[in-house]
Amino acid sequence: MPENRYLETTYDKFIFRASVDCLYHPEECWVREDGGLLVVGVTDFQQKVGGDIAFVETLEPGSEVKQGGGAGTLETIKTTLTVVSPVSGEISEVNSSLEDDPQLINTDPFGEGWLYKIKPSNWEGEKASLLDAQTYFPKMEEKIRQEMKK
Amino acid sequence: MLELVEINPQKVGIIPCNGEELPEGTLTRFACRKVLDKLKPNNTVTICLPLFIAGGKEEREFAQKFPTITVDGCDKRCSRINTEKLSGKPRHSIVITDLLKEHGINAPGSARTLVDMDQKAIDLVAGEIAQKVDEILAGEK
Amino acid sequence: MGQKGDQGGKVVVVVLPCSGIGKAYGEIGRQATYALMDDLCPDKVTTTCLAKLMIGDPDALDLVKNNTVITIDGCAHDCARKNVESTGKKVDTAVRVINTFKQHKDLKPAGVLELGEPGFKLAQILAEDLAAEIDCPRRKEE
Repeated sequence: MPENRYLETTYDKFIFRASVDCLYHPEECWVREDGGLLVVGVTDFQQKVGGDIAFVETLEPGSEVKQGGGAGTLETIKTTLTVVSPVSGEISEVNSSLEDDPQLINTDPFGEGWLYKIKPSNWEGEKASLLDAQTYFPKMEEKIRQEMKK
Repeated sequence: MLELVEINPQKVGIIPCNGEELPEGTLTRFACRKVLDKLKPNNTVTICLPLFIAGGKEEREFAQKFPTITVDGCDKRCSRINTEKLSGKPRHSIVITDLLKEHGINAPGSARTLVDMDQKAIDLVAGEIAQKVDEILAGEK
Repeated sequence: MGQKGDQGGKVVVVVLPCSGIGKAYGEIGRQATYALMDDLCPDKVTTTCLAKLMIGDPDALDLVKNNTVITIDGCAHDCARKNVESTGKKVDTAVRVINTFKQHKDLKPAGVLELGEPGFKLAQILAEDLAAEIDCPRRKEE
């Protein structure tokens, strides 16, 4: 697991982070290279807004998914969130730790809270449509401001 | 240690004791949530005392940068003492038993549930907290 | 003051909820504690204020040190468990409200403090699970 570095901002008492080692999909998921595979998770913003994760369901290993397609769901006491896959490919592994402790997504969304690993089918073509941390960050901040108004 | 003072703070942290033993502990929770949700939603944040004590980064950083008001159920002053230890003296410290006595209002009868007739006590405490928030935001010395 | 249970040689179980104010789970843990203390196991279960323990109150420290301790945490921060263990006491049982919710996901609390019927039901289930675990004598039906 690479050592993560973060962009951070604080609203009220809440610290929101984005890992500089990831690329971001607008539907609040991230992707990071890991050898020949890609690791996928949900963003810090998503887990904070969603609340404490009680259930995680992801597609099984061997499943194919398209970029922007549904790859699973996260259920909290407040809501059910769809996990959108930031890339196309075949799911090779799911994070089995989340079965016993789904709240790893809340406590470490960019590290131990990863959701699945995927063998990409068009990484070079698709990564251009994703956002780096510096581009994602102000968009996240605008979403935070909108949430604070509610 | 340098103490950073916010000249015109926009946010105030409210730290209820949450004491489980006394009805006044339950009252701190309801009063603080009333301030957060209804009276001063744009200017207050509640600090979760157990998380604050256990080392919650967000709680501690907020309490170090922004003014706080502790709300204690009794004169053990657990919220105030813990806050002083972890982030410095709160700007205001409210003790509910004293406040209720001053205004001749009875404490709730149960720690487990507050009933309609406890609303007066909730309103009094919430109003007192809100007034202190206003004083802080107005740049009290 | 709020503490029950005969500590003269009798086993007392001290239940400590986190009472976190940011989430409904904190209130559910608190209500489960009251259900245990008042209804299900009044002769065996007691509580004390977690914050009072953390200021080093001698009575609270003594109570925790000399008895079985169950912590009820609202979330993965595990504040009740961590705070108790920082006093040097190893918690006997640590539970998280979210694990009870996982088995009863239809019981979503209405609010952070005003739990509504589903929230109180969830608290009651948690209390009953803990009562079974600490082997409370069944009360006669009245």
